[in-house]
Amino acid sequence: MIITKKRDFQELMENIKNYRSFFLIGCSECASLCGTGNQEAIDALTEALKAEGKEVTGGFVAKTGCQVLGTKIELKPFKDALDKTECILIMSCGAGTQAAVEIFEDKPVYATNDSLFLGNMTRFQMFDERCSLCGKCILDKTGGICPVTACPKGILNGPCGGCKDGKCEVSPDIKCAWVRIYERMKRLDRLQELCDNALEAKDWSMSIKPRTLVARPEKKEEKKK
Amino acid sequence: MSFKDILNSGKFVVTAEVGPPKGTDIKEMIHHIELLKGKVDALNVTDNQSAVMRICSMAVCKIVLEHDVEPILQMTCRDRNRIGLQSDLLGANILGIRNVLCMTGDHVLAGDHKQAKPVYDIESVQLLSVVNSLNNGKDMAGNDLKGATDFFQGAVVTPEANPLEPQLIKFEKKVRAGAKFFQTQAIYDINKFKEFMSYARKFSVKILAGIVVLKSAGMASFINNNVPGIRVPQELIDELKAAGKEKALDTGLNIAARHIRQLKDENICDGVHIMAIGMEDKVPIIMERAGLL
Repeated sequence: MIITKKRDFQELMENIKNYRSFFLIGCSECASLCGTGNQEAIDALTEALKAEGKEVTGGFVAKTGCQVLGTKIELKPFKDALDKTECILIMSCGAGTQAAVEIFEDKPVYATNDSLFLGNMTRFQMFDERCSLCGKCILDKTGGICPVTACPKGILNGPCGGCKDGKCEVSPDIKCAWVRIYERMKRLDRLQELCDNALEAKDWSMSIKPRTLVARPEKKEEKKK
Repeated sequence: MSFKDILNSGKFVVTAEVGPPKGTDIKEMIHHIELLKGKVDALNVTDNQSAVMRICSMAVCKIVLEHDVEPILQMTCRDRNRIGLQSDLLGANILGIRNVLCMTGDHVLAGDHKQAKPVYDIESVQLLSVVNSLNNGKDMAGNDLKGATDFFQGAVVTPEANPLEPQLIKFEKKVRAGAKFFQTQAIYDINKFKEFMSYARKFSVKILAGIVVLKSAGMASFINNNVPGIRVPQELIDELKAAGKEKALDTGLNIAARHIRQLKDENICDGVHIMAIGMEDKVPIIMERAGLL
């Protein structure tokens, strides 16, 4: 999921200082699990804005805030509140914010969160980055642990000289990705594979931005034309 | 004779290193190069060591060459992508630089520009393959070069890494990627190093043991607590303590000389790489006490 973090309130207030009324849109997916876009987060921000003398015309938790058409349909019942507001506040990720920009052509849209990374929830509201979306997965060669993400240097062929007692040179809180890979491959009796295969340099052309994907064959043809 | 020829001749080789300064005043650096000229077989030039921004390695290698000392260009993958690395390798080759030491490089967070974007487009094993490829007249994308390079490429290894086995797997990958020589992280336990060497001798590569002078018992404890892959045995710490503050450095120089002498006399490895870290003037003293001058 996309991990988000609530922006500092003073920073948010500075960004929206020119507006008086707001409509708040959360998201039931990642941002709810992060506690940045669920109903409780909307209620808390509503109270905080009112305390600053602002007006909140309404708010709701979108099912999937990054899904443009679905969110647009979900917003229909809120027409009055939306007409009344000067500004839209998005309480999900950067994708959710930009879905709203597409939906609200004539209204300013502001983000209440910073988008951090693609990660896993390891405990309640504790998150670890696990995937860099590099475009060409090598997990099948590294025992299912991603060195592109788990190693701060993204090294593909073993630990660097900075590994100290199995910990990363960047922080003793991080276990060396390559020690983890080594231990897992050893447990799976696949060490030989690790020794024999030096991984080649990554093809970074797989992650040139902005990326698009058309997963429907008929649409693919349409796009080509 | 070139560094490669000396190493292949079977002579016990000594390399040292020069750290480029931050800024354009190179008087002290030149003094160090002059001091080591004729004594060491080659001089490593570090590449923004510890991720601290300084004069680039290539420019200093050229100056080392001009002083009739053979340079070893240290090259890390932290600050340049594959285009930059290959371009610099071609540039180094036409300047007459023949030795290159391929490393991944300390993370930017270790240095003085912590907000920099770390590159790591490729890493040490892959950089060795790239050098191999340039030597064979092809770039990394498979394009033909108008004139191949003729580098003698090396790498680094940490014989006291903990855990050791992942490090050894990487060592073997470096050998297969074309590394001809290795300079090790500092070693202090000769018996443990012998164990590493009995493993490393299975490969036809030259190994230069890393020597770092201990200035005091405090420095030794600091290393044990903070520096990855180095372990100073308690006997050496006790020896430095017993020497007292006044004589600690001299004892450290003696320990280094004693280790070098043993490595040479017992034919344990192919040479040593002395990392003086600001005490370049002490390198000739160590060499003298080790019976190398």
